[in-house]
Amino acid sequence: VTSTDDNKTRYHFDRHTPEYRSQFEKITQEMHRRCPVAWTDTYDGHWVAAGSKEVFELARCPAVSNHHDLTGQTPFTGITIPTAKRSSGVRGGMLEMDDPEHRTYRNVLNPYLSPAAVKRWEPFIDETVRACLDEKIKTGRIDFVDDLANIVPAVLTLAMLGIPLKKWAIYSEPTHASVYTPEDSPDIERVLAMHREMGLDLLNTMVDIRENPRPGLMNALLQMTIDDAPAPDLEILGMLGLIIGGGFDTTTALTAHSLEWLSEHPDQREILSAKRDTLLDPATEEFLRFFTPAPGDGRTFSENVEVEGMQFKYGERLWISWAMANRDPAVFHDPYELIMDRKGNRHFSFGIGVHRCIGSNVARTVFKSMLTVVLDRMPDFRCDPEGAVHYETIGVIQGMRHLPATFTPGPRLGAGLDETLDNLQRICDEQELARPITERKEAAVIH
Amino acid sequence: LSRGDIDERLREEQQAVKVRVDGERCQGHTLCKMIAPDSFELDDIDGTSSPVSEVIPADQEDLVREAVHSCPEQAISIEETP
Repeated sequence: VTSTDDNKTRYHFDRHTPEYRSQFEKITQEMHRRCPVAWTDTYDGHWVAAGSKEVFELARCPAVSNHHDLTGQTPFTGITIPTAKRSSGVRGGMLEMDDPEHRTYRNVLNPYLSPAAVKRWEPFIDETVRACLDEKIKTGRIDFVDDLANIVPAVLTLAMLGIPLKKWAIYSEPTHASVYTPEDSPDIERVLAMHREMGLDLLNTMVDIRENPRPGLMNALLQMTIDDAPAPDLEILGMLGLIIGGGFDTTTALTAHSLEWLSEHPDQREILSAKRDTLLDPATEEFLRFFTPAPGDGRTFSENVEVEGMQFKYGERLWISWAMANRDPAVFHDPYELIMDRKGNRHFSFGIGVHRCIGSNVARTVFKSMLTVVLDRMPDFRCDPEGAVHYETIGVIQGMRHLPATFTPGPRLGAGLDETLDNLQRICDEQELARPITERKEAAVIH
Repeated sequence: LSRGDIDERLREEQQAVKVRVDGERCQGHTLCKMIAPDSFELDDIDGTSSPVSEVIPADQEDLVREAVHSCPEQAISIEETP
């Protein structure tokens, strides 16, 4: 930590290096002790907020902007630091907008993603989880990422969008791979090709739903109007990318890390399973705090402003670290301990302020379904540390690529995944599950 | 009602602990409802919270206090009359 003439406290911070993952505790402790907000010269220079109070105030500060100006004429470059090459041409949906524009789009999504709206999907989610486990239950082996946590969030997100469920694989792999594959990786061409295929399918589905409307988030975005005109196609594409990116990788990351931790702490796993009526909710929030799947967001200062005694200037970039705020001893006692029944757990994992993760209710519901069914049907599961593959860097998503495990085999309870998805597609269509809560109140009925 | 009863009720009313959710701050994190399900209700459309009743029943007080501490937006406040 150094201070220079311009009064900026400096701290070298590069969250895209493997060292950031391996040294996360040390870096976090150092910043909390010495510089809860600091300037780093990496990526053309930007602020980093690590302290809970600073993160809280900055995330809610009207002079802190999410906007992404694609023309490049202004310093507003949205929520990624550095700006991703892939993202050029399309804004990242409402997460790269400020109010009132952000609010216009958010209002369209809310009635599909509120707690009441998501609750209706519970039988659908449980049935998808059941089928995933039935694929593996007799073998005694499963990869919790490939065979469960990649599938369920993807299937549900497609169902909510109004995209055929059987296409989940077209969407799943490129979405995860584009997060964990560095832009200089030899594999990047293959990943980009898959990404293009997904984008093409998304465009074709847009055309299809525009001509033949069917319920779902995509239809809602196509039908919405701003000043009596439809939303621009590019903004709709950005919104769809945000829903898919937000809906897939984050819940997968949370589930994988939680299952890995429970495998390493079998006594805690037994307690959670036995006391799930009271413990599942607080444990879920604690897993969210501890693993912080989306570790932070970029912002831009839209005016000169003083926050928590620090001076910030128009155009300066800022990284808001939810992950480091989640370790602040000022808010969380024993912050580096995972305490399943933690009290006062006002964690930062879904963000703070108007951009609170709109999929938070989906994430919790899907996570709880996957976790409880694993506890029920694979109670003695043991993850294989040799086979577990964590993302090499956690600058974007703190995720896992693979998490193989073994368990005592059990009986199947129903059809396999493909047959189940066919059945769920029929149910989706017949019951019009993807309607908003304003049009449909009843829960899905699986038969 | 005797005079004593009325005095007693007035005293209870004055001593009541009241809860408020700041609608400008609440972003629909839903932790309050998770922690104190009988004391908060969530909007069907956007999940924002409001108290079921302004005065907190005595048996709910601990849970509501826990909800106050757990609100990520610090949107819930308690008003106590000494």
